[in-house]
Amino acid sequence: MGWREAWRISSVAFVELSLQAIYAFRQGNLPSADSPRLLAARARRRVVQSKMIVAAVLGLLAAGACLLLEVSARIVATPFFGVVVTTAVFQMGVLTGLLAIEVAFLWWTGLQVIPTFLGSGVLPVLEPLPIDDRTLGRVAGLLYLRLFDLPALMVLVTTPLFVAWTLGAEAGLAIVPGVVAAVGFALALALWTGRFFVRRVQGSRGGGGRTLVRWAYLVLWVLPAFAMFGLVVAAPGFLAFIGRIVGGGPSLAGDLLLSAFPITFAALPAVAVHGAGAFALDATGQVVLATAAGVYLLVAGWAVVWLMASVRRMGVAPALLPAEAPPARFRLRPERPARAVLTKDLRIASRMPGYAFLVIFPILEAVAIGLFTFITGPGSSAALGLALAAVSTAALLATFFGPAFFAIEVIAYSYGRTLPLSDRSILTGKVALVAIIYLIAGGVVLGLTLLRVFQPVLFLAFVLAEFPAVLAASFLELGILFRRARAKGLPIVNLYSGGWYAVIVAVPGLLVAGLPLVTFRILDSSDPSFALAAMGLFAVAELAVCAPFALGLRGGRNE
Amino acid sequence: MDAIAYGPSSTPLVADELSVAYGERRAVDRLSFTVGPGEIYGLLGSNGAGKSSTIKAIVGLVRPSHGRVRVFGHDAVAEGLATKERLGYVPETSLLYEALTPREFLEFVASVRRLDPVASSARAKSYATAFRLESEFEEPIASLSNGTRQKVLIVAALLHQPPLLVLDEPLNSLDPRSVRIMKDLLARYVAGTGRGILFSTHTMEVAQQLCHRVGILDRGVLRAEGTLAVLRERAESGDATLEDVFLRLTREGEGLDIAVRALEGP
Repeated sequence: MGWREAWRISSVAFVELSLQAIYAFRQGNLPSADSPRLLAARARRRVVQSKMIVAAVLGLLAAGACLLLEVSARIVATPFFGVVVTTAVFQMGVLTGLLAIEVAFLWWTGLQVIPTFLGSGVLPVLEPLPIDDRTLGRVAGLLYLRLFDLPALMVLVTTPLFVAWTLGAEAGLAIVPGVVAAVGFALALALWTGRFFVRRVQGSRGGGGRTLVRWAYLVLWVLPAFAMFGLVVAAPGFLAFIGRIVGGGPSLAGDLLLSAFPITFAALPAVAVHGAGAFALDATGQVVLATAAGVYLLVAGWAVVWLMASVRRMGVAPALLPAEAPPARFRLRPERPARAVLTKDLRIASRMPGYAFLVIFPILEAVAIGLFTFITGPGSSAALGLALAAVSTAALLATFFGPAFFAIEVIAYSYGRTLPLSDRSILTGKVALVAIIYLIAGGVVLGLTLLRVFQPVLFLAFVLAEFPAVLAASFLELGILFRRARAKGLPIVNLYSGGWYAVIVAVPGLLVAGLPLVTFRILDSSDPSFALAAMGLFAVAELAVCAPFALGLRGGRNE
Repeated sequence: MDAIAYGPSSTPLVADELSVAYGERRAVDRLSFTVGPGEIYGLLGSNGAGKSSTIKAIVGLVRPSHGRVRVFGHDAVAEGLATKERLGYVPETSLLYEALTPREFLEFVASVRRLDPVASSARAKSYATAFRLESEFEEPIASLSNGTRQKVLIVAALLHQPPLLVLDEPLNSLDPRSVRIMKDLLARYVAGTGRGILFSTHTMEVAQQLCHRVGILDRGVLRAEGTLAVLRERAESGDATLEDVFLRLTREGEGLDIAVRALEGP
């Protein structure tokens, strides 16, 4: 059996993988009354939609980067942190950022879907069939690659095209090795780290300090996504840094910089356009650049070979194995039902990176913006503006991700529904989770910026004035989802496969969370106290409307 | 026996003209039966006979297309929460919160059922010890075997000592020791109390040993109901086993010899 047969088998298996990714029957969701054929078709369509969304984001990122390249001449006229950079350095910086973001985004997307892939049971089903080892390995590899086909194609095709369009055909060709390496690394990293996290995080025991260790791992899990954001905000500083090193002529530091991934590949288009003189490269520098590019390509090739060889082994072996038994603790500590929902969600999130991301990201993002106040002068209005922006972004992100917490209810749905747990308790527990994320983000920003922002009272008042709006937005979003769940079952499974629903439901939520912020922005210039009062009143009014809408749900799940 | 505390009626379970449909397909058709106080009622049937659909309607997982289910007088649809408070359920497939450990899962169940910490901890300990769950109590459920998951579900179902237990093939993945414990436990659970157990199985030996009465379900319809003696009489089969009675009443035994011979090959 050859590649053609492997492709055919993987096509059949991918339908099952899509079905599990969308409907999570193996996680305990209830089978729908619809026909299996219809469900399979719907699952395939939704997986394609999700891949298209990810691909579109990647395409937009490439387009955005190339827009920057297009206007590079105008941008380089401005010094970056006091350093004037050349057009070539600027172009290299932009392409470095783009390649890094592409790796990070593909990697992060992979991390979201790996637990489903490993837990779908698709590969173990194929093992006992009379299919030879080589074909089984190919099927597993193809199945994995098909999870990324559209996003990976988007990176491989659009990035060189956009670069060729803005910098010329030679530059477009020169970036090809870079995007090939980026895709290879991202896919291999996703599988390797995904497997690691499934073992270390999902397989972690309960109790003791293990929860803290799990959350620490999960912060690492979120970092690839955070890296995208970090790269964008740190871009000027990064440009100044490379401008300073490369601008000083040939040096060991310059050679080392150019040999770092993905700077090596980002430098190639600039060299293709401006020649080796663009970075004042001497013979050693040119050899270093060429060698580094070759080595990275070889490593990327090896990564893909490793990936193809490993997917089957990883997909067949049990993801989790029981370890040595610790002394059992039989003490149960029952809580109020709404609080139990919150605790359960946090415990599940602490072992499911897809959900942990939703908890950690708004807080990390607030930390990042908060840290930027240290660039501004102490006590300046810019520092306060950044601190308020950090809290505003946390409010919007917590609200945006809120609907996805509902998806946790899909897990063990067929069991959970048999418990005497009211919709109101579930909803209150999930709104509490969003509220906690927002308040932690606000608290962390306050802690970070206390030395830089001299109006802590104003800052606190801002956090508290926005708080009812965050609650209102969460109530609204979750209320919509509960009503839909009653009518059609639970559609959202993970952020990758079910993100579309979360996005649609998040739009009204974002409006509700955003309107008080806009109110403050409009009125702030005249009188900050009045602006805060108006913002708070607006937020309370929203809560007064949205909470009854959501809590008006009848008490029982099947009443 | 404290029938009043269980609800407006002392009868643990009444299914009245219950039908369950999935789209066009009717899985259960006007099924009526009662589980009385102190009774273990066995729901028997072949694969696809409608046992699990009946149970799903009772525990609130699917909405009946017709008819009613009452648990101690509470309507399972109109009074879903009241019904769920009174029952403990062990599903056919052990699909649980995989990311939780058994202790975390039982803590969640105890919270939702608003149980007393001391009593629920003591029960969790005694059941976990009986089923030898101690070493897996802090492991993520995802890493546990099917049998261990089944034990966790059984402990969760018994944690609040419900007056009605609804068990869908509960012995399927259990080891012989746990099967023995379960049989003894269930017999004692209802003896001399107002509690009831609905027990679905296709293992006739278990039903014969454990159930006071059985209902034989065939393609969604109740073909026969009663004690083993009544069913033997109905099937006109003297001292036959429950398996023989079942095969006769459902006509599943017809052509059995031919089918077995066909397996022997040409």
